[in-house]
Amino acid sequence: MTCVPLLLGQMDQLVRSPLCWGIVLGATSLWLLLSGGSETLRGIGKLLGAISLLMLTATLMIVGDWSSQLVFWVLALITTGGAAAAITARSPVYTAIWFAVSLLGTAGLFLFQGAQFLGVATVVVYAGAIVVTFLFVLMLAQPEGHAPYDRISWSTFAVPTALVGAAAVIALVLTSLDGLRSSEPLTSPPQIATSQQHMAELGGHLFAYHLVSIEVIGTLLMVALVGAIAIVLHGRKSRPETAPDHPSRPTTDAGLPGGTP
Amino acid sequence: MQANDPAIKWVEEPQLGLGGKMYLPMFVQGLTTTVKHLANSLSGKAVTVSYPDEEPEIANPLIYRGVHRLNKDAQGRVKCVACFLCATACPAHCIDIVGTESPWPDREKYPQSFVIDELRCIYCGMCEEACPVDAVELTSLYNLTGRSREEMIFDKEKLLSVYDATKDAEPMKSASLGGTV
Amino acid sequence: MIEALVKIAILLGGLMTAAAYFVLLERRMAAWIQDRVGPNRVGIPLTKIRVLGLGQPLADGVKFITKEEYTPAHVDKRLYVLAPIVILVAALATFAVIPFGSMIPATVFGYRLAEKPIELVVAPGANVGMIYVFALSSIAVYGVILGGWASNNKYSFLGALRSSAQLIAYELPLGLGLLGVVLASGSMDLGVIIGSQASSGIWFAIAQPLGFCVFVVAAFAEAARLPFDLPECEQELVGGYHTEYSGIKLLLFLVAEFLHMIAASFLIVILFLGGWHFWGLTGGSAEIDGWGLAWSGAPWLQGLLRIVVLMTKITLVIVGFMIIRWSWPRFRFDQLMALAWKVMLPLGLINFVAVAMMQQLQAVFTGAMGPSWLMVPIAWGVAVAAWLGITWAAPMIADNRPRRELDPWEIDSQI
Repeated sequence: MTCVPLLLGQMDQLVRSPLCWGIVLGATSLWLLLSGGSETLRGIGKLLGAISLLMLTATLMIVGDWSSQLVFWVLALITTGGAAAAITARSPVYTAIWFAVSLLGTAGLFLFQGAQFLGVATVVVYAGAIVVTFLFVLMLAQPEGHAPYDRISWSTFAVPTALVGAAAVIALVLTSLDGLRSSEPLTSPPQIATSQQHMAELGGHLFAYHLVSIEVIGTLLMVALVGAIAIVLHGRKSRPETAPDHPSRPTTDAGLPGGTP
Repeated sequence: MQANDPAIKWVEEPQLGLGGKMYLPMFVQGLTTTVKHLANSLSGKAVTVSYPDEEPEIANPLIYRGVHRLNKDAQGRVKCVACFLCATACPAHCIDIVGTESPWPDREKYPQSFVIDELRCIYCGMCEEACPVDAVELTSLYNLTGRSREEMIFDKEKLLSVYDATKDAEPMKSASLGGTV
Repeated sequence: MIEALVKIAILLGGLMTAAAYFVLLERRMAAWIQDRVGPNRVGIPLTKIRVLGLGQPLADGVKFITKEEYTPAHVDKRLYVLAPIVILVAALATFAVIPFGSMIPATVFGYRLAEKPIELVVAPGANVGMIYVFALSSIAVYGVILGGWASNNKYSFLGALRSSAQLIAYELPLGLGLLGVVLASGSMDLGVIIGSQASSGIWFAIAQPLGFCVFVVAAFAEAARLPFDLPECEQELVGGYHTEYSGIKLLLFLVAEFLHMIAASFLIVILFLGGWHFWGLTGGSAEIDGWGLAWSGAPWLQGLLRIVVLMTKITLVIVGFMIIRWSWPRFRFDQLMALAWKVMLPLGLINFVAVAMMQQLQAVFTGAMGPSWLMVPIAWGVAVAAWLGITWAAPMIADNRPRRELDPWEIDSQI
């Protein structure tokens, strides 16, 4: 709720900021792409999205020399573009692939910052495990995306939800942007991320200062595992009740081998 | 068929022994077999014959089914009596015989022309089986080639010349097998 | 920069040539094991000189490239093209962190190559080395699954599903087998892992036999080699996930598969078989110190010797891959999964716990980390005990006889 007066107070700055228009354009483009209109509308949506990305890029500060800036822009474009494509793609399989592309971009951003472990772990955990599982489900469930839950239109809720969400994002970005502008830009990544032994240090840190959290997460995963097994066993036990009754069911073991030859 | 049909004979699978359960002895066993064959081949005992470079060795030429020949008797006459049994037996219909009256007193007919289409032939050896006088036989010549279809249609003269070419290496089977001379 | 580019060029050229010639070796080995001769007729082009069939890879390559590249009408074109690219990129990028030798001294024959000794790995000092390999192997699954899905063919799709299930299942034992090594050497950097084995003279295959078994089995499964080649078993799935591919795209898939096998061999050798180290030949220091070669006064000879030792080991492991291919029948899919979850996973966990305890004991009593001869008998004892335990529990022995007392509709739930 604190963001509302801030938003009103900075309305003047808001209207003149390219950031604001970039966000508005981006929201419009997403809306056009998501609403499932004709190809022309989707084309306009794509164009607006590109323009909004350019405007957003212009408002960001320069983080280093031109080559690293270029690398950053490319990676950021891959990440945001992949994310946008992931939520607007028509086919669920393409959604999964764009999600993976977006994650690869994120991993690239981490690597670019010198956080080797975070970058590679992102790929292993997300792109590797989750998306493969995701693909599994998609392919086994509905290759064409015609499941009943896909056909339900959520557009009644979409517009108000999107408006609220967009307002919150704009307010948050504007309030944090001033703080970001006033502080010194980060020229070098933190020492712990770039040291030769940063994985050992990371591990030591996790198990020295966050031991309880780690154990809680471990227990949670364990419980989930046990739950999954319990569900499987339950489903297996209940099957005979649901199966049709067989009239040809053998009622006697006479004639079966094992006894007299 | 139901699972409890009395006609089904149920066989109990043998239980796995300790070696099978441990997996390692089986692994070593399989590996030994493979390595043995590998060593065999590497010491030059592969069964493959590099054909144009080396000729294959035909174990028993007498039962090999290659190019046909028309046998001759002791006087050098064609043995065939134009009975058409081979042409009748041939499943590929590749034998064409024109019979005519024999100029010799010991038989009624002889083939005026005897043609085998070697391209149609499937080398099953039925003609050889059917022949009552052991006139047509399959030799061990396996490398039969030709430049045209016409060349591969063997007439009487050509079939007789095959006999001349192979009679020393492969004498007629009939004598040893109790057939006609 | 130039140094890195030269290393990349050497690695790519070497890998592609190696993949081509390993295909030839694989065919010759297959032939020898089956008492045949194998491809021995292609020699130098336009002459009649046959040099043991060494021209065969060239002929194969030309054949693949000049064949008609047929794209069926029912495929998803974009993903169909993307899949082989993804799988090959992932397979090649894996080698960025894998060392292909030890070092070359900065000065060779009085000619100064670089400021400091050149490490023979494209990305030296990547201390996430092994996780990077894991990340790329999980990206390679995308190539398989996309290829299978985009082909819009049920055989391809089944192959892709089998492949992804298999790769996901076997990544766990692979990681567990690896964790023991990482614990004992204290790093994920492959160069450091070799150094730890070289300085102590104990290869991890000796120090952690159980981890070695688990890792090798999982590596076979990850490379989809027989007896784990279910994703493309011809009898059931025609060609598996690349059924619909032809021409150069098929070549990319096949090369990527061979690269997976080569990468698996590299990992087996580097993690468990001492990398470039051999007793009495190469010296134990990670640096080029001219050990044992003082008479020749040529430190580069030591660097060369280490490359030769590493390559020899890798070739031997690959030959092992090829012999095992013809020694074992393929697993059935339920056996494959049972092996992963009921045999290899527990064995990997036992190995992991045992290694952790031994390292801790060692640290308490001797104050030193890394492999030591003291722990080798204990490790072998643990390995034998764990193996016997698995034998006793026999989780792989499934009773596949039809259940006479069951109705057909019940049999489904028994499978």
